[in-house]
Amino acid sequence: MSWEDVGSVADLEREGRVIARIGGREVGVVAVNGELRGVRNRCPHHGGPLCLGTVRERLAGEPGRYAFGNANVLRCPWHGWEFDPATGQCLDEESMRVAVYPAKAEGGRILVDI
Amino acid sequence: MACTIFLTVIDCDIHPQIGDVEEFLGYVEPAQREWFRAQGASLGIPGYSWVHPSSWFRADIEQNGKPPASDVETVRRELLDPSGTQVGVLNGDDAVLVSLMPSPYRAAELAKAHNEWLRERWLAEETRLRASILCPAQDPQAAATEIRRMAEDERFVQVLLCGGADRPYGEPRYLPIFEAAAECGLPVAIHSGGEGMGIAAPPGGAGPVTFYIEWHTLGSACSTMSHLVSLLCHGTFERLPGLKVLLIEGGIAWLPGILWRLDTNWRALRSDTPWLERKPSEVAREHVRFSTQPLEHTDGKDETLFEMLEAAGAPDNLCFASDYPHWDFDDPGFMLKRLPEAWRDKVLHDNAAELYGERLGLARA
Repeated sequence: MSWEDVGSVADLEREGRVIARIGGREVGVVAVNGELRGVRNRCPHHGGPLCLGTVRERLAGEPGRYAFGNANVLRCPWHGWEFDPATGQCLDEESMRVAVYPAKAEGGRILVDI
Repeated sequence: MACTIFLTVIDCDIHPQIGDVEEFLGYVEPAQREWFRAQGASLGIPGYSWVHPSSWFRADIEQNGKPPASDVETVRRELLDPSGTQVGVLNGDDAVLVSLMPSPYRAAELAKAHNEWLRERWLAEETRLRASILCPAQDPQAAATEIRRMAEDERFVQVLLCGGADRPYGEPRYLPIFEAAAECGLPVAIHSGGEGMGIAAPPGGAGPVTFYIEWHTLGSACSTMSHLVSLLCHGTFERLPGLKVLLIEGGIAWLPGILWRLDTNWRALRSDTPWLERKPSEVAREHVRFSTQPLEHTDGKDETLFEMLEAAGAPDNLCFASDYPHWDFDDPGFMLKRLPEAWRDKVLHDNAAELYGERLGLARA
């Protein structure tokens, strides 16, 4: 395991994510409520660029009512499958999980522990 | 006539016919009899624009000048005795289309009269028979009142709606019907038919069809799919965890495909219906049953059909139905030979016994 540089804090703030190729795989970092989450940039469903998806508060609610569900998700830009950015678990398909990594900001750079 | 066979069958779909309109009018409140009498034999129920080219009914059934299955003795002789039917559930035939009448007031009265007619003319005459509660779906509050009234008679084992509707049944306006059924411990049967009639939406989803063969292929299947998907998407079963729905005569070969499609969309579009916490196919397995008739012919590929159906919950979600006395009737003996051996008891008897529960008054095996 080593901390790898995947981009600048400025890029993350501007784009909502930074993505870099490290050792043959793409890894991204997204900000979720101020926490940095490292996520492999490949959706386990169809191979889409997961880190280009959107971070949203997952909806919940009783039938016919829309409410926030107190959980943030990373929604894949291809088919909309939603993942817990902290654990990588797909919330709608138990058998699907994406690799996640610790991430931090240091000296204006975003680092991922791979 | 079918061969005598040795089965114990629960038949979820037998259609009694109104053979004597004047006798039936005796069950209509006096102030409305003139109106119903003036409608003739249709009783004001919307007529079919797409009609079977020769007859709606099996041509071999003795009629004695009346519609087939218009008296208990005929049903006993033609169906119950030779097929080993332990319980047969009577579902209004054209009468199920009361929900498509323009007037909810006439519909409510006709439904009530039909329920009373079934009680006196059929259930009182034959202990193997049970019946479905007819109700005016276009007036859900009135429908709920009729459901609660008739549910007091335990020989009424389910609520009956027709496939034709102006909107799919998951719509909140219909909720009082499902709430009343669940409160009374009754499953809701949705029987195909009436698509494109009266106030119902056109069959098929692409405008009115041309031929009866199109209507019979698409109308019944598409309305059944629509109601299934609607009930699942609206979270009807999340609202009413005890509710069971039986989908009758809409075909079943399409079932795995539509559930797989719905599951796929559920994962992708969950913010549209965020109250669906579970895969729709899982909810369907728990809450929805399907009649076997008309079981699609497969040109010798029955194994493929049964494998597909297993993926969608069969045999636990299948209940036998004959559709007697209609032309596309399924004979229980024929079904016995066609079904995988391990499915037979469940499909021909056990699943329906569980669905209807203690109302059937059957001793548990």
